[in-house]
Amino acid sequence: MQYDDKSRVEKAKKRAVVKQTEARNRVELFRHLPQYEHGTQLPDLETKFFELDPMHPAVYKVGLQYLSGDIRGGNARCIAMFQAFKEAIKDYSTPPEKTLIRDLTARISSYVSFLIECRPLSISMGNAIKFLKNRIAKLPLALSESEAKSTLMLDIDRFINEKIILSEKVIVKHAVTKIRDGDVLLTYGASSVVEMILLHAHELGKHFHVVVVDSRPKLEGQLLLRRLVRKGLSCTYTHVNAVSCIMQDVTRVFLGASSVLSNGTVYSRVGTACVAMVAHAFHVPVLVCCEAYKFHERVQLDSICFNELGNPDAISKVQGRKEINYLDGLVNQENLQLLNLIYDATPSDYVSMIITDYGMIPPTSVPVIVREYRRDHLWS
Amino acid sequence: MWWRSASFILDRQQEQNTSYPPNPESLLLSSPPPSMADSLQNPKPDISAYYQTRAAHHAVVTSDWLSQAQAAVSLQTNDDVSSGSDGRVAPTGGGTGGDNKTFSVIDEFNSWRKQPDLAEAVAAIRALAAVIRASQATTMMELEIELKKASDSLKAWDATSISLTAGCDLFMRYVTRTSALEYEDFNSARYRLIERAEKFGEISYKARRIIAMLSQDFIFDGCTILVHGFSRVVLEVLKTAAENKKHFRVFCTEGRPDRTGLRLSNELAKLDVPVKLLIDSAVAYTMDEVDMVLVGADGVVESGGIINMMGTYQIALVSHSMNKPVYVAAESYKFARLYPLDQKDMGPALRTIDFGVPIPSKVEVEKSARDYTPPQYLTLLFTDLGVLTPSVVSDELIQLYL
Repeated sequence: MQYDDKSRVEKAKKRAVVKQTEARNRVELFRHLPQYEHGTQLPDLETKFFELDPMHPAVYKVGLQYLSGDIRGGNARCIAMFQAFKEAIKDYSTPPEKTLIRDLTARISSYVSFLIECRPLSISMGNAIKFLKNRIAKLPLALSESEAKSTLMLDIDRFINEKIILSEKVIVKHAVTKIRDGDVLLTYGASSVVEMILLHAHELGKHFHVVVVDSRPKLEGQLLLRRLVRKGLSCTYTHVNAVSCIMQDVTRVFLGASSVLSNGTVYSRVGTACVAMVAHAFHVPVLVCCEAYKFHERVQLDSICFNELGNPDAISKVQGRKEINYLDGLVNQENLQLLNLIYDATPSDYVSMIITDYGMIPPTSVPVIVREYRRDHLWS
Repeated sequence: MWWRSASFILDRQQEQNTSYPPNPESLLLSSPPPSMADSLQNPKPDISAYYQTRAAHHAVVTSDWLSQAQAAVSLQTNDDVSSGSDGRVAPTGGGTGGDNKTFSVIDEFNSWRKQPDLAEAVAAIRALAAVIRASQATTMMELEIELKKASDSLKAWDATSISLTAGCDLFMRYVTRTSALEYEDFNSARYRLIERAEKFGEISYKARRIIAMLSQDFIFDGCTILVHGFSRVVLEVLKTAAENKKHFRVFCTEGRPDRTGLRLSNELAKLDVPVKLLIDSAVAYTMDEVDMVLVGADGVVESGGIINMMGTYQIALVSHSMNKPVYVAAESYKFARLYPLDQKDMGPALRTIDFGVPIPSKVEVEKSARDYTPPQYLTLLFTDLGVLTPSVVSDELIQLYL
């Protein structure tokens, strides 16, 4: 939904569970994206926990976790959402005079709109929901309610197992062949797949050095850094401002992705495009690791038409450093607009290879995978 | 990159002094002729047998010999098939597989490989087809296992040849990918497999003609073509163009250390095609006069790039910077599921280089025989599947392997 369309926004507000207040200074270029005040919804929702009738408590809980930022990362969000849906399906019973298929689909749609209000869906979650709705629609009518429910739960388990967990293992297996002794590997942010690749390569006894590049306001790289250092890998930590200085010593760049689009564009955490461009300028190969269920048929040419806006206060304040909070008191001025983008789009020219569970493919082959395998496996 | 730092160089020197005392004589010898009657173990595992064979072919064979060999091949094929089927299927009597061990896929492969006109991958395919024919298996699983073992032993025999590995893999996919085989009894299924194997061998063999015909549109009257390396496909393309009475001239690079340019210029002179020989360093100098670059390929990788004789990458870079198109003529069985990220990301394929004068033992020699050309420097690929852009290679590989 485009948020600069006033009538639709009004309608959506009436149906909403979460009371969002619009951000005071909205960035003009991004009016089509939802921009809300952060920090006001969570206490409000917590008090309403036992009052909300149509919402299943597991889904509610997951929504709150998204809102507070406890669960982050495409895979983690998708798995958490599916676990919540499994609980909801388990407790579901068809109301009288309604068919299971239609009613359950409507129920899932209402859960999904609640989750969207908490935090806009990632592309991995969108694909997963499409899969679930497809599975529900394909249920044979003759099945009893309990059989239908157990079939659905088995399907969800199978999806999580095959498309997320096993495919991560396959990606790690392929990626580890591209790491040689003496390599200096650079990674940005905290991608779950890249972490697994580095740890596995270390277990195999390869000698390499890792450079973790991080950026404000999320500082996700510190999470990854901590886990790597604990396992004994030799690491360097730096911020994205210094990436052009450090890139001369780097031999490979491993990046994760939220999604890969049909024209080979990699849609990932903001800052990934910078790292990929600098790597390209230094002729360092960029390897993007992404599971195939995150691929999307959409084509995106820039980072503006589809994105997510985060909490503007996070960039105006620096935690724990009172002396440099120069924007204190200035935040509400009309001529100041704070922009905290969450994602950006990296053009396919800067990507050398995409490692998926279907093997190592060039970025131009993403639509081939979408064409051949979505139809057979995911939506069948 | 830190492995260019001083400490790294010191470490490497230490390693080299302790484990590899260099032998001064080995640098003086030119490549010894490969023994044709190879046992199952490749006698020189660190020198790429593939490149040695090619060197031998380039050095020894003249075109008259080539045409005689071709004629002999067509006769020999018939003989070989009949003798093969008679001599090997005969001991089918109720015995176990024990007496069939005399049939070795490596021997069969080597006998096919002797023919200079036959590509190595096609020889492998024909050898594998012979394995099916000579097989004593009684079930489909057994036959597949035998085939897999034979394919693995062929691949292990020379691990540096990409077209050999790719050809074996493709053959296995092509032949065993049938679901209709489940419904028939074993003998008719085996017969079907043999048919498919022969067909695949035929297609691969005829691939050169198809490529030659497809590339005719790109050679226009008055054009100048730069050729690097001695590819039989490229030779076929130029031969067909000459037969079609096109007026063009060819620049051949010398192609050190194999001297491929000398061979090629010899062949082209016989066809009355104007040929000019250049030393490898003169490519940039003459690139202004060139209209297109035509090369073959040892292997086509998943990114759409090619692996070819050393020097191809250089020429592609120069042509790209001067906006000249680079065309690659390669059969489809050379498509391999490799994805090199840079020059060092491939398995090494070394061959000894003879400089003509003794080199002191302290001096290192870059012995790699091949390099990788990334897809952004290639314009089009002429294959038996059609005229393709480099990004389509991955499409074809996905459709074939997944």
